[in-house]
Amino acid sequence: MKTIPCTLFVCAAALLSAKAQPAVAAMQMRDVASQEELLLERRKALQIDPMKHLATATGEDPSKANQPTDILAESDIISFRGLATLVPKRAILQTPQSYAGHVKMEPGARFVSWREFYALNRGWITTVEVSREQAEGNAPFAEETRKFLGTNRNLVVATFKGGPVSVLPLKEPAPETAMQTPTP
Amino acid sequence: MKSPAILTALSLSLLAADAAAQEVIYTNFIRQFQTPTNVVWDASSEVSPADSRESDLAINPGGARFELWTVANTSPPTSRLLDTAYVGTYVPVATVTIRSEDPYIIPRTRVDRPFYVDIEVTGLLNGASDPAASKAVKLTRHMQSYGVGGTGINLDRTQASLVSQSFITTNGPQTITVPAMGTAVTGPGSKIRGEERFTIFSIEDSRIAPDGVTYVVPETQIASKLIQIWPMADGFITGISSNQLVRYQLPQLTLTLNDLYPSSTTYVQVYMGEPQLGTQGRIVPGSAITINDSVPVSRVLVIDDYDEVFDEDGRWTMELVTDTPFGVERLAYVSFDLDRTIKVNGSFVTIE
Repeated sequence: MKTIPCTLFVCAAALLSAKAQPAVAAMQMRDVASQEELLLERRKALQIDPMKHLATATGEDPSKANQPTDILAESDIISFRGLATLVPKRAILQTPQSYAGHVKMEPGARFVSWREFYALNRGWITTVEVSREQAEGNAPFAEETRKFLGTNRNLVVATFKGGPVSVLPLKEPAPETAMQTPTP
Repeated sequence: MKSPAILTALSLSLLAADAAAQEVIYTNFIRQFQTPTNVVWDASSEVSPADSRESDLAINPGGARFELWTVANTSPPTSRLLDTAYVGTYVPVATVTIRSEDPYIIPRTRVDRPFYVDIEVTGLLNGASDPAASKAVKLTRHMQSYGVGGTGINLDRTQASLVSQSFITTNGPQTITVPAMGTAVTGPGSKIRGEERFTIFSIEDSRIAPDGVTYVVPETQIASKLIQIWPMADGFITGISSNQLVRYQLPQLTLTLNDLYPSSTTYVQVYMGEPQLGTQGRIVPGSAITINDSVPVSRVLVIDDYDEVFDEDGRWTMELVTDTPFGVERLAYVSFDLDRTIKVNGSFVTIE
């Protein structure tokens, strides 16, 4: 007779125990900061100069000078039959009228390296290997190269060790003696 | 003369993934710019995607700048500068690395989180006869705001504002800590979005080479890294109000989510009882949104038929939670009473 209330008590205790257990677990969480808190934190943070331990430099912003410019603006695009490549400006030495239409981007063309593009287009592109001095404009082309350029009907690209290179205009040697302008 | 190694420590895997997502093909080019002659040589064929070798084009006493570009076959074509390196006779070597709590491959963080700029300089000299350009480098800090809702895509970085510039005159590593809310990017409080750039420049150098030519080399970039700063998310739950008594069916909810962090999971959870921060509840079906993007995302979600998560009547709390690389945060919450018990007033009568 006494076992019944005891069983009931145990059952009730078990139920209460199940009810008392949190149905959910705890995790690391925080409330998002309020605007007031953030503004206060920002005011404090802006008073700290993270570079204060370094000597202050002055002068113009160095990034404004000698800044890398866009490779597309500094290049000529050559494209043909779905492929395109970039060569530095002044690398194309000669563009015959018949190939002028290829010195632009063909819509939808895929860019490839110069080496890959040239390998597939040797029929209408010719390269002229130049020296560093010639690229700098400090040395003239050899006579045979000038003759070759005069007779070749292909698009001609200057290369250095196989890579397209810009060729600066040949620098005129400075006159040995300066002319004195007589004053009236 | 000096033949430098062309290094291609590339984020090419990132670009490949980028390309796949946009169905655009990227091709990489390496350019060598001779200083000060401005001769430009395409060295793209010289180096494979993960390789290094010496450049065939010898460097003038003025040095040379190497640029690694990727070009996409979009219409019109677009380009992105991936990396640059300046090589000279006695230009110090410097590296810049930016760290944040977000492990994403491109440095980024949230406006209310700190970030760290690790700088290491080697090769600085300190002898009395050493040229000035070998004794110091210049560190600059630039910032650029993306504007309201801006993403930084097609940003003209030449328009960045100079925040400060300093000299580094000692070799070795050092770390610059930018505290939470301490970004130099300007904007409306928690909604700042933009980027900061830290760059090491060589000092302007002027010298006469053995051939008698005077070379003037301007301040030239040695190393540079940027970090994107994104705004804090906000959001709210509409359709149910605080202390509302809900009878029978749960109302339709509307979740308004603004500026969810590019790498985040946001959801609504419910649990019995009063609000208790840190409680892990049951996620409301249809409320979870996972963002894996390069820019913040805003969404509006409408949720119906979510009664199944409420297994009994009583006091309940509903929370809007976002999980980011910076931790789990509660954006909004509401508590209400649920009573779905149907009481029938009647009586049974038996008739024989």
